[in-house]
Amino acid sequence: MAAQNTSLDDAILVADDIGVRFETAEGPVIAVDDVSFKVKPGEFLSVIGPSGCGKSTLFNVIGGLLSHHQGVVSVAGETINGPHKSIGMVFQEESTFPWRTVVDNVAFPLELIGMPKAKRIERARHFIALVGLDGFENRYPGELSGGMRQRVSLARTLASEPKILLMDEPFAALDEQTRLLLGDKVLQIQQQLKQTTLLITHNITEAVQMSDRILVMTYRPGKVKRIVDIDLPRPRTSEVVTSEPFGRYVAKIWADLREEASRGMRDEEKHALQHHGAAS
Amino acid sequence: MAETGRLTRTPVAAPLVSPVTLLRIAIILALLAAWEFLAHSGWLYRDVVPSLMSIGHALAELLMSADYYFHLSVTAAEIGMALSIGGALGLTVGILLGANRFLSKAFESYLYYLGPTPKIIFFPIMIMWFGVGPESKIALGTLSCFFPVALNVAAGMRQIDKVLIRVGESFRANSWQMVVKIYLPAMRHPIINGIRLGLGVALIGTLLAETKLSNKGIGFLIIQAYSIFDMPRMYAMLIVLFVLAIGANALVGRFGGLHDIKRL
Repeated sequence: MAAQNTSLDDAILVADDIGVRFETAEGPVIAVDDVSFKVKPGEFLSVIGPSGCGKSTLFNVIGGLLSHHQGVVSVAGETINGPHKSIGMVFQEESTFPWRTVVDNVAFPLELIGMPKAKRIERARHFIALVGLDGFENRYPGELSGGMRQRVSLARTLASEPKILLMDEPFAALDEQTRLLLGDKVLQIQQQLKQTTLLITHNITEAVQMSDRILVMTYRPGKVKRIVDIDLPRPRTSEVVTSEPFGRYVAKIWADLREEASRGMRDEEKHALQHHGAAS
Repeated sequence: MAETGRLTRTPVAAPLVSPVTLLRIAIILALLAAWEFLAHSGWLYRDVVPSLMSIGHALAELLMSADYYFHLSVTAAEIGMALSIGGALGLTVGILLGANRFLSKAFESYLYYLGPTPKIIFFPIMIMWFGVGPESKIALGTLSCFFPVALNVAAGMRQIDKVLIRVGESFRANSWQMVVKIYLPAMRHPIINGIRLGLGVALIGTLLAETKLSNKGIGFLIIQAYSIFDMPRMYAMLIVLFVLAIGANALVGRFGGLHDIKRL
């Protein structure tokens, strides 16, 4: 299943035949195998899969933070080799700098490229307002809630004005209500900026709510199981979750995922048993 | 109604000084009283425990003598130099060890062995290398404060939240930006802690060296007072040192930038 020969289309991000294997104490593990997909400008693509399907590995490959992989990732025709300026990453973990105020956090990528202070502060304020944190510019992350801190991270990445926004389960650590509201915020910003977005997630609702297409991955080794087009009207908000077609998409993707997730669960149980056996 | 009134009045009627403070004051007063009692009891050899009055007198005399400030400045300069040289070396070595697993495996165990060794055993060598003047004291203070700074920084480097490093990489920060904008600020607490410990041992090392062999400095004055058995003067100098050490420690703590402490 090599790259489909459609090299002349308008894809901004192309992942071609990505494979990653890790050497572990129990021999090599194939985390990601033969993953190929394309993202069109302005598109919102989600990658969904059970835990252990190599989603985060894929995130690191596309972000350029993992170099030992097979296959090629290219942005607007240019093969990436390390972190690329067109790709902005938002991490799953708490990633604000606790020693910087909100505005200094958001201005960080602008500071790195040597933008004058007055200008970068102004730009940072714009993106802080965009994520709805105006008034908190001079607070430290320690004074904010988890959801607010994640919005700071999002604003920081948006401030670098990436062509592609790459997010790894950015709401995983948040409670369900905050997650839905933040999802709304992300949707609104994405639609407003026409931001090309690649979201890595294990949350079906979140994926269907936001995406144009969803790529479903298999449990280890992580391969592309299916790509589902989400034909729901835009602009969307979190209210879309109550609609009838929404339910059908969720059911369809869950049917795919269920198989993979239960395979993963059995595999982990077997693993735990073996380890327990070896230990005693 | 009377009940409510009493309840609301209670916090207002709270004592101006808390029970803890009262207890502390009581302990200090008791110690001073015991001291004074011992001084007048005649149980101990003359002036081993001088009376508070004579210590106070010696303290006043000390604080008014220009000579004392000269010696104080010599010692302060020695400690300052020791802390800057040892701190800078410790910071550099700590960053190298923290960043490089190979170097850390090869060398860090030596630091752990040498760290707790009393550095005063190297003093004869320092005298041979640097003479009896302030240089040998600076050398010993440097040697003392290098270890806690290096070990704290190395450990702090390894404790940096890995995701912050990945954030820096994802924004394509260069090596210099990574060090200045991520590693150093992320390590500010272990660095401050290392410097605080370093200051303590630099103080000990320098003063100890001065009491062993020197011709100026507070250590020299203390040992001089001791040799002519001027106990009130000696105690007065100890009190000043004690106060200065507390002040220096508080000053280092201030640099910590503790506004973001909530997240730690």
